[in-house]
Amino acid sequence: MTDRAAPRPHPVLPRLLRAVGPPLFALVVSFGLGGLLMAVLGKNPFTVYAVLLVGSLSGWPNLAVTLQLTTPLIFTGLAVAIAFRSGIWNIGVEGQMLMGALAAGIVGYAAPLPDWAMVPACLLAALAGGAAWAAIPALLRAYIGVNELVLCLMLNPIALLLTGYVSARVLKAPGPTNKLPDVVDAARLANFSLYSQLNTGIFIALACCALMALFNNGTVRGFEWKLIGLNARFANYGGIRVRRNVIGVMLVSGAIGGLAGAEQVLGVYGAFYDNFSPGYGFDGIAVAMLANSSPIGVLFSAFLFGALNSGSSVLQMELGISKYLVQVLQFIVVLILAARFTFSWRGWRRPLVASAPAVTLPMTLPAEQGTTEA
Amino acid sequence: MTDALVSLRGIVKHFGELVAIHDATLDIKPGEVHALVGENGAGKSTLMNILYGLLPPTSGAVVLRGKPVSFGGPAEAIAAGIGMVHQHFKLAPSFTVAENIILGAEPALSGGRLDLRTAERDTGDLSQRFGLDLDPRAIVSTLPVGLRQRVEILKALYRQAEILILDEPTAVLTPQETAELFITMRSLAKSGRSVVFITHKLREVLAVSDRISVMRQGRIVSTLDNSEVTADQIASLMVGRTVLLRVAKTEAKPRGGPTLEISNLSVSGDRGTPAVEDLSLTVRPGEIVGLAGVQGNGQDELVESIAGIRRSTAGRIAICGTVPTVGDPVASRRAGLAYVPADRAHVGLSLQSSIWENMAVGHLSAFRKGPFLAAAAARRRCRELIKRFDIRGAGEMTPAGALSGGNQQKVQLARELTRDARLIIAEQPSQGVDIGAIESIHRLLVAMRDEGRAVFVISADLDELMSLCDRLLVIYRGRIVGDIAAADADVEEIGRLMGGSNTDDQAPTRQEAHA
Ligand SMILES: Nc1ncnc2c1ncn2[C@@H]1O[C@H](COP(=O)(O)OP(=O)(O)OP(=O)(O)O)[C@@H](O)[C@H]1O
Ligand SMILES: [Mg+2]
Repeated sequence: MTDRAAPRPHPVLPRLLRAVGPPLFALVVSFGLGGLLMAVLGKNPFTVYAVLLVGSLSGWPNLAVTLQLTTPLIFTGLAVAIAFRSGIWNIGVEGQMLMGALAAGIVGYAAPLPDWAMVPACLLAALAGGAAWAAIPALLRAYIGVNELVLCLMLNPIALLLTGYVSARVLKAPGPTNKLPDVVDAARLANFSLYSQLNTGIFIALACCALMALFNNGTVRGFEWKLIGLNARFANYGGIRVRRNVIGVMLVSGAIGGLAGAEQVLGVYGAFYDNFSPGYGFDGIAVAMLANSSPIGVLFSAFLFGALNSGSSVLQMELGISKYLVQVLQFIVVLILAARFTFSWRGWRRPLVASAPAVTLPMTLPAEQGTTEA
Repeated sequence: MTDALVSLRGIVKHFGELVAIHDATLDIKPGEVHALVGENGAGKSTLMNILYGLLPPTSGAVVLRGKPVSFGGPAEAIAAGIGMVHQHFKLAPSFTVAENIILGAEPALSGGRLDLRTAERDTGDLSQRFGLDLDPRAIVSTLPVGLRQRVEILKALYRQAEILILDEPTAVLTPQETAELFITMRSLAKSGRSVVFITHKLREVLAVSDRISVMRQGRIVSTLDNSEVTADQIASLMVGRTVLLRVAKTEAKPRGGPTLEISNLSVSGDRGTPAVEDLSLTVRPGEIVGLAGVQGNGQDELVESIAGIRRSTAGRIAICGTVPTVGDPVASRRAGLAYVPADRAHVGLSLQSSIWENMAVGHLSAFRKGPFLAAAAARRRCRELIKRFDIRGAGEMTPAGALSGGNQQKVQLARELTRDARLIIAEQPSQGVDIGAIESIHRLLVAMRDEGRAVFVISADLDELMSLCDRLLVIYRGRIVGDIAAADADVEEIGRLMGGSNTDDQAPTRQEAHA
């Protein structure tokens, strides 16, 4: 019975299509809806999109700005994605990024280290700062059972206020601005574009992507983390220490978030400035969703969001359209993707698609609750 | 055929490259109980899901009362009088029986307010009419499985189902519950409705059905009258060879100290009430011990605490002489445990992960090269196991959720039984598995016993326990109330022990309390 032979492993092309299809669909729909919106507002959507495209991609100056804005999104997108993949909503990346930035900013001007050690020391400080901030929800969640979603959300403004206090009072640089003193030159990430603040931090971001791809697909730990995301009860049953691993996931996620801050301080601003982030940590959530938690996908979606952001300022200059229009576009993308998650749960008799994070938080383990009670 | 209530004509269903249903034709007459049997992956569930509108056929026609119909979804099938009870129930656990039954077809008062009073009355009437005793106000999550199933059936009847499809309804039922279900099925048939009944238990097929259709490799190979067949004939039609319906095994030769030794164990259930109380038992190397009992008497909690998934409150569990840390699955596994859980959809498998990933869990140390995962080796081993355990309809990359129920069961059996473990705990090992596969699973368990491992089987199926085990323990309200050599076992007596009649305490069992 040849026609009932076991199906062969899926060939590459359809597999690729299945992975790329839904996000592309979301993009097409949201650009369509965005176009409608512009038409209603009396703008020609085609002109607007053309300006966006040219303003973000044509010529090295524009492209350099786009890449500069892409870099932090790669970090924050990766930070959210690695947590997503393990079924955890780390929406506290914004705060973790701020703490990483502060740590890098302090070490960058105050540490009495030889020149060659400055950049590594700052990066390590940022990793530690982000991880430490992520440890708060991770530990409270694991040992007391507090909901990490609420905690992360609350910790974001706390991080903003805390870093603001440090940069405006405790370690404030002389002058009118609320900032720390400039980091020493040896601690700067070299800038290689005249037209933007694009710096070598982008290579660190690319390296993080590659490392994470390798980690996800090649290591035992990466395998275990994915399993925890798909079915935590099964992972626990199968001898994977879920609680310990979930803490690990949060720490790694926070550390990568911290790197986003380091890149801003060491590469873009040269010092820690109060309130420097336009919300890179939150954009990271959208980036990770669009990427379906794949590190390679993060690269593309971060680039897309970076291009939209950089194009939006051109949009404002040339057509007088508020740059918030671009944010509306981004929101629509997220909404459609969120709808897709729920749809894929309803649409299948047996769940076949490994879509990103389960909507319910699988960190809740019956056995673990038992453990905390006792 | 004009006398058919519904007929499926030349149904074909493809899943990608796989042809799951291959030109299947089936007539269901009014007033009959029609059994649908076949091996795992034969296509029974798929065919019925097509009838129920859950899956669109690739080609072929569904003809209802002489008219071709095409359902866009279950809602349309329900409106046309077709009801289905899936093996995994789809009830809202925190709602009452009445609320669940009316959900989606709510009687409304003026202004769209929910008419709960009518709902409860209707539910009461309905359950009286069909002899399905149920308290309309009971919360579903507090009901035992057998009663939950009644809710599902009533739910379909409330929507005026003329054709009721039951997909492996008895897989989770005790013999008593099964007998009650059969009475219901017969009375439904008598009232002119049709019941389609999927099962792997041939005794049930012969006991309750009027006609029997056998499916094999996506086709209906024959439809027979109950009176003209024997169990052996059905078995060989299904499998294409003769099947041993009883386990062939020699006398057990238990030797050495106990592999599993539980002393004075107490465990709490989900609601904090004691589920296992002061329980002691031993399983020795070279014997198969069965645990019999009505569901909800502490079996789940007992097994979960051996596996380290649940914490015990008192007592001691020793596996191969070591006492693993309480509530630590890793420690239990290291001590020498392999465990096949009953809840394969949530505990025993990750349905979204591929088969090789499911099979690698618990064996990761064998596929570890430093921090890296030797995925190619894991896939190779998975391919071997697929062959060895005869897992059908899949390659190693297929998600476990795309397998038929019985084949999913084989995946978790393959993974656990190939662990180098001294103690094997199998909950409902043959749940949803066809007779051919049951035969090989039982043979495998006996072979493991003969190698000197200790096997502990928990099953709701008394027949299975009696034929497979060397010694039977009976659990009642969290205590062992009987310890009987299988050779001397007598169904009546075990049934009495399961009901608790040999203890001084004559309070009703959980099941009776809810009925
Ligand atoms: N959603 C799906 N995607 C891909 N293949 C599927 C899907 N559903 C079922 N199949 C395949 O179709 C075939 C028939 O499956 P089905 O569930 O109908 O079997 P079954 O007769 O009910 O078996 P069992 O007795 O084990 O429940 C199997 O080979 C199964 O792997
Ligand atoms: Mg089935």
